[in-house]
Amino acid sequence: MCKKEVGKIIKEKNIICIMCPMGCLITVTIDDNGDILRFSGNLCKEGEKYAKAECTFAGRVLTTTILTQNSLRKLLPVKTNQPIPKEQLMDAMVFISKLKVKPPVKVGQIIVKNLMDMQVDLVATDELPM
Amino acid sequence: MESQVDVAVIGAGPAGVAAAIKAKEGGAENVTIIERDTQPGGLLHQCIHDGFGLTYFKENMTGPEYARRFIEKAMDLKINFQLGTMVLDLTAGLNVTISNKFGIQTLHARAVVLAMGCRERTRHQIMLSGTRPAGIFTAGTAQRYVNVEGYIPGKRIVILGSGDVGMIMARRLTLEGAKVEAVVEILPYIGGLIRNGVQCIHDFNIPIFLGHTITEIWGLKRVQGVTIAKVDSDGKPVLGTEKTIECDTLLISAGLIPENELSLKAGIEINPITGGPSVNEMMETAIPGIFAGGNVVHVNDLVDNVTLEGEIAGASAANAALANVISANRKINLKAGKNIRYVVPQTISAQKETTLSIRVGEPAEKVMLRIGGILSKPLRVVKPSEMLRIKLSLDQLQGLQEGIKDLEVSCAKRR
Repeated sequence: MCKKEVGKIIKEKNIICIMCPMGCLITVTIDDNGDILRFSGNLCKEGEKYAKAECTFAGRVLTTTILTQNSLRKLLPVKTNQPIPKEQLMDAMVFISKLKVKPPVKVGQIIVKNLMDMQVDLVATDELPM
Repeated sequence: MESQVDVAVIGAGPAGVAAAIKAKEGGAENVTIIERDTQPGGLLHQCIHDGFGLTYFKENMTGPEYARRFIEKAMDLKINFQLGTMVLDLTAGLNVTISNKFGIQTLHARAVVLAMGCRERTRHQIMLSGTRPAGIFTAGTAQRYVNVEGYIPGKRIVILGSGDVGMIMARRLTLEGAKVEAVVEILPYIGGLIRNGVQCIHDFNIPIFLGHTITEIWGLKRVQGVTIAKVDSDGKPVLGTEKTIECDTLLISAGLIPENELSLKAGIEINPITGGPSVNEMMETAIPGIFAGGNVVHVNDLVDNVTLEGEIAGASAANAALANVISANRKINLKAGKNIRYVVPQTISAQKETTLSIRVGEPAEKVMLRIGGILSKPLRVVKPSEMLRIKLSLDQLQGLQEGIKDLEVSCAKRR
């Protein structure tokens, strides 16, 4: 799986595996090309898979709420329909904090298409009746 | 006023709604859910985060989405919801006294399902000393403020306890712009799921103090800070290790207690370990015709398992209501052996396939889980925060000796 150590090691990334209750602390060694050289600390192959995925794309589904207008409910819960890079979570929160929605809203309805050009949509996770 | 129902379900959270669906599908005609809130769904409405349904639906859903699936199904099945209705009394004779805007009424049920869920431990229950300023909340109350009511409880937050609700609130408040100064956990390991430890604490670099507790709350009108200290192996604060953290808000996430006031009124004994009624594999309590499922029986870590328990309770209640109960002529007690805190159900008849929920006492690696002489399963790691669910097949149960009274579940180190 791992490439031979040709490049120079530039960083080590610590990742806690969530594949089982063990929660191995996996150290991923990455070279200057961004290639993974080796994994250490994981007890099984699942950990390697997880750590590799986390190094390539650490995505998280953002779940939050939007302020409403003309509704008895103050907030509408929403989520991104795909994970977004975890580094973008706070920026997305700032963007979403400026939004307001009016009823009616159905579950799964798209509130923002292509949120901040991340190729994900912000969708309602509950309804907002009239 | 009085009326007859086949199955009365108390509580319209995930356990209650699942129970009502299965009761109706099992042939009970008049199934009534009684709920004190004005909408069904229970706590799921305020749990806007994802991670629900991963095992039940094999989908990653938010709390409101998960709740909706079941509520819509219940509506389609014409289950009767009595919302905004409080249960005042429950008797061993299956009479349920309710109160709502129409007045007080007694339902005569042929079977009852307890699905009252659980509630949070408060500051007083963990004997947290100090002044009594504004700014101290349970984590679930804060969750309701932030996700439903639209208020942020404070700007600088300390969270006591690293259970799932506490960790999820650490992330939620961080996302909403508050600063979580610390999560303080008395145990040497996090109290909730590993996934939440990573995605709620680690992702946001929130300081976590394991093996620490809060010894003092500061502030007169509003919380101004807390003193934390290391604890020794008995959980007692160690003198000289105190440290003060400034904050304006303290959230308590120190565990959940099954809500069993009604069970007690009916005369059901409460198991001191689980905090809920002891049940058999049909989720029947010691009182015939009264069943229970979900967090009222024992606190689960996943809603998916709450649903499954509610389903068993509901299906069994339908059978009881239709009077086609197969009487369990064998009763085997499940005993908690080495490193086992509890096993649910507490008794089995060994006449049908049964899934055991097993909570271990301490984290341990390289263990052998044993159930009597009928099952041995090597496990790499066990943790109290992650429930074990072990299915016993009819084949395995039929391997039990005739006349056996006890079945011990243990989780000892492998040699």
